[in-house]
Amino acid sequence: MSVRNGILALLAEEPRHGYALKSEFSRRTAGTWELNVGQVYTTLARLRRDGLVAEDEPVDGPRHRWRVTGSGRGALEKWLGTPVDEAASRNELILKVLLALGGPPDRLRLVLDRQRAFAMERLQEYTRARPVLADAGDLSAELALDALVLRVDADLRWLDRCEQRVADRERESRLDRGSR
Amino acid sequence: MKDAPAVSFERVERVYASGPSVTRALGPIDLELEIGEFVAIMGPSGSGKSTLLSLAGALDRPTAGRVRLRGVDLATRTASQLATLRRRSLGYVFQDLNLLPGLTACENVALPRELDGASIAVARREALEALDTVGLGHLAERFPEDLSGGERQRVAVARAFVGARELVLADEPTGALDSMAGERVLRLLRERCDESGCTVVLVTHDATHAGWADRVLFLRDGLLASEARGSARLVPGV
Repeated sequence: MSVRNGILALLAEEPRHGYALKSEFSRRTAGTWELNVGQVYTTLARLRRDGLVAEDEPVDGPRHRWRVTGSGRGALEKWLGTPVDEAASRNELILKVLLALGGPPDRLRLVLDRQRAFAMERLQEYTRARPVLADAGDLSAELALDALVLRVDADLRWLDRCEQRVADRERESRLDRGSR
Repeated sequence: MKDAPAVSFERVERVYASGPSVTRALGPIDLELEIGEFVAIMGPSGSGKSTLLSLAGALDRPTAGRVRLRGVDLATRTASQLATLRRRSLGYVFQDLNLLPGLTACENVALPRELDGASIAVARREALEALDTVGLGHLAERFPEDLSGGERQRVAVARAFVGARELVLADEPTGALDSMAGERVLRLLRERCDESGCTVVLVTHDATHAGWADRVLFLRDGLLASEARGSARLVPGV
């Protein structure tokens, strides 16, 4: 649904060729969400079937430009006005850590350490891209990168929280055993 | 021949003894930081981050092992030689800025160069250049109390880099700054590291700040738990 609505949003700005849609989608998401041309044309065909987009007659060569219809604008407004509900619980990282809790402590630490190093490397990568984007004045790409940075940061904070809670629990267990 | 590392730790330990109780704050730890490298140190409170920074900055001596700066074993240096090393080659940016309130921004930045024997004119010229690099040349004659928190921290960065510093150590340098002002300080550290070729060691709790580093070391219970080396690859399409 995101790709379908994303294409509608780009066409609501101005009519575009299929390939221009692919390029603009990639640019506006800072290259973090690539579409292939086949995916773009399949989506356009479905949008046309549902009466949300239409093709213009070719004027500058064989390629059609696509434009949004009145129904398409209505569908877009409805999407923009509906809150996104992403279920945080259905996340592979969370699942992996929760299940690793059932094994030996060293294995859990290994999971936390490897994930932390991996997430940090991602964060370094994003951080290096930030000055380039800021200097280019590309607001859309800057905001896309902010979203990535803050999500990785949230993962890293959660990993720290896991480690802290596990360490607290181990300490309490030791104290309990010592007082018996 | 390969240059000696900017900092090397060989089986370094730091233990604090108080009466019968002994606390191991760090180590044993082996570590090499390359010249021109920007390294961030992360870990929970009490994991040894600041102890590591103090040892690398010749502000403390290890209980065991060897700390070398560019191949020079700090244990072979007298207190007076270490003081000269700190004044001449090392820069510090701490959370509590330690700017002197009675001196202007320019005088604060010039002070370490004057203490090192530079003439007032030379120290002032270098201080103005350093303030320019952090975007504060126009506020050089302001006193610290007339600057915002972010501006004061940028003065501290200028002071840490003034002269020919080989190693800059920063302990939670963004303190209570808001996230945008904090990011500006981190970007400055990154730029000064890239432009001057000096080594930067940053201690931080904030992963988004550590993201500016070439390498991030994670400490746990005084030992190295893991490390991240950011790839040179940028986000696809950027």
